[in-house]
Amino acid sequence: MEPILEVDDLRVYYKSIWGDYKSVDGVSVKAYRNEVLSIAGESGCGKSTLVEGILRLVKPPGYIPTGKVIFEGIDILRVPEEELRRIRWSKLAYVPQGAMNSLNPVIKVEEQMVDAIIDHSGMDKEKAKEVALAMLKEVGLPVEVANMYPHQLSGGMKQRVIIATAIALKPNLVIADEPTTALDVVVQRGILQLLRMLKENYHMTVIMVSHDMAAHAQIADRIAIMYAGKIVEVGLINQVFKEPLHPYTKGLISAIPAIGKKYVKGIPGLAPSPLNWPSGCRFHPRCQHATELCVKVEPSIREVERERFVACHLYG
Amino acid sequence: MINKRVVRYVVIKILVYLITLFVAFSIVFFFLRLIPGDPVSRFIRLIEQRYSIQLAQVTQEIINEYKRKFGLEGDIATQYVSYLNRVFLEFDLGPSFLNFPNPVQDLIAWRLPWSIGLLGAATLISWAIGILAGTLVGWKRGSKIDSIMFTISLCMSQVPFYLLALFLVMFLAYIFTIFPPRWAFSPTVTPGLNLAFISSVIYHATLPSLSLILISSLGWLISTRAITITILGEDYLLFAQAKGLRKIRILSRYLLRNTLLPQTTGLAMSLGFIVNGFYLVEWIFSYPGVGTLLVQAINALDYNTVQGVILISIFTVLTANLIIDLIYPLIDPRVRGE
Repeated sequence: MEPILEVDDLRVYYKSIWGDYKSVDGVSVKAYRNEVLSIAGESGCGKSTLVEGILRLVKPPGYIPTGKVIFEGIDILRVPEEELRRIRWSKLAYVPQGAMNSLNPVIKVEEQMVDAIIDHSGMDKEKAKEVALAMLKEVGLPVEVANMYPHQLSGGMKQRVIIATAIALKPNLVIADEPTTALDVVVQRGILQLLRMLKENYHMTVIMVSHDMAAHAQIADRIAIMYAGKIVEVGLINQVFKEPLHPYTKGLISAIPAIGKKYVKGIPGLAPSPLNWPSGCRFHPRCQHATELCVKVEPSIREVERERFVACHLYG
Repeated sequence: MINKRVVRYVVIKILVYLITLFVAFSIVFFFLRLIPGDPVSRFIRLIEQRYSIQLAQVTQEIINEYKRKFGLEGDIATQYVSYLNRVFLEFDLGPSFLNFPNPVQDLIAWRLPWSIGLLGAATLISWAIGILAGTLVGWKRGSKIDSIMFTISLCMSQVPFYLLALFLVMFLAYIFTIFPPRWAFSPTVTPGLNLAFISSVIYHATLPSLSLILISSLGWLISTRAITITILGEDYLLFAQAKGLRKIRILSRYLLRNTLLPQTTGLAMSLGFIVNGFYLVEWIFSYPGVGTLLVQAINALDYNTVQGVILISIFTVLTANLIIDLIYPLIDPRVRGE
């Protein structure tokens, strides 16, 4: 399989007077063509920062000290700005975390879709409008939405508008950051099906970032588990859910609530601070299997089976 | 578009406008009466000075006659009622001391266009400059140009208008006689719609408007910069960037368009706060505007003129606010409540 996106040792730090916050600290991950790749992890593990890093949307005081993001053979982090602008949206689209606030409140939905289309293709306004309307229908919205302002739409509708905008130019890769957070369960399901459809009908690659393991289970092909700014486990979704290897992954999966489950078991302790990651394996203060080795030596990520990676001394 | 809710909105705004106008008007009336001094005897002294005569015996009769003319008869309540009658029913602001017996409205009518021309143009120009510069500086926040402009603005925007006006007069009118120091046009041109007159007016307005624009545009720059930085942190700006829009589109449709909302309200509000400062600038340049008139009127304890001028100021500020209120729904769809 050919990767569409290769992230290699990406680091995203935030400068502060206490030192650097190492939110993303050496992530390497691949996304293959026409798959849904999930990136999971608890709040504060660096998921959203990773997405911003991949898209080169990191704002000061954030900066990227090292790393490569190769998208279709182009290094996103080093390409000139104008070229990057052209790649964005036409090939690489983004569904942001805060769908509630991601639309400009003072201009109509239609214009916000049309401007992206016009700035990336030779289409005239009329043609771009047609495309925008078709996309709204595609995501299950009435065409009247085009003439509305964002404040007239519900959260789920806004999220759909954003997805409609994202797929208008048929990009090869769509990165969705917490697309279902802040939506109610029924709407969540619709959005997830929509993302799955992008893969199946348009042969797009989708990277979905979420803390919601249940959401991943519904649509992902592969899943990468992130902890403390690093990827700790990667595998096919079925494998990982059936037989999680990393103790953190095990904790995440046992924390999924289910009908009939009386108690939900959480992971003890709190997520560590990016200012001062723990020594050795970053999970060791919360891990019941931790040994002397875990405290001192950081485990590297290893392929334990085909397409199955884990960073844990238990499997070394 | 015009439905019940729009009508309701407009009617409420206009009602509030009228009530505010009335209350402000009454407050001005009563507060003026707190200024110590007897206006009529001051007026008689004014006449004595003006014509270099001695009115040896001013009879009670003459005093009463003047009191009647100026609406100063009876106690304060009677005066208030008769003034209300005169202003709202006869649309007459009463005779002025300064230019007796011409009514105040004639005095103001002659001077108002000068004030509106000078102050209005200066306000709009500084608003436009401040917003454009503030947006650009905010967009480039943290850069050298930002820190330089921001520091200069912070210091300069706190300089009073009249102080800068004094400096400008001193340097550009007296030491280097580049600009005229006083009045609104050259005495050699004939007022009217001719090129010589218009260019003379612009030439004379340069220094006073410069002292206003230099300072208030920097004030606008500071507030616009702050608003811009807030908007830059909004999700919709990140999304616009992720969409790979052209820079000019992000700047105009996403950034500037949203900055304009609070700053339009700010424009209306500022009219109220800058009025007094602006009047002093007029006074320094002996500009034939309402501000100069007000200073003269206060010196002469000319109740009617002071009341008239303040009334006009209140009227202007409130009307500006009303207009902004009425056009706000056009620029902010959320207020329309569709």
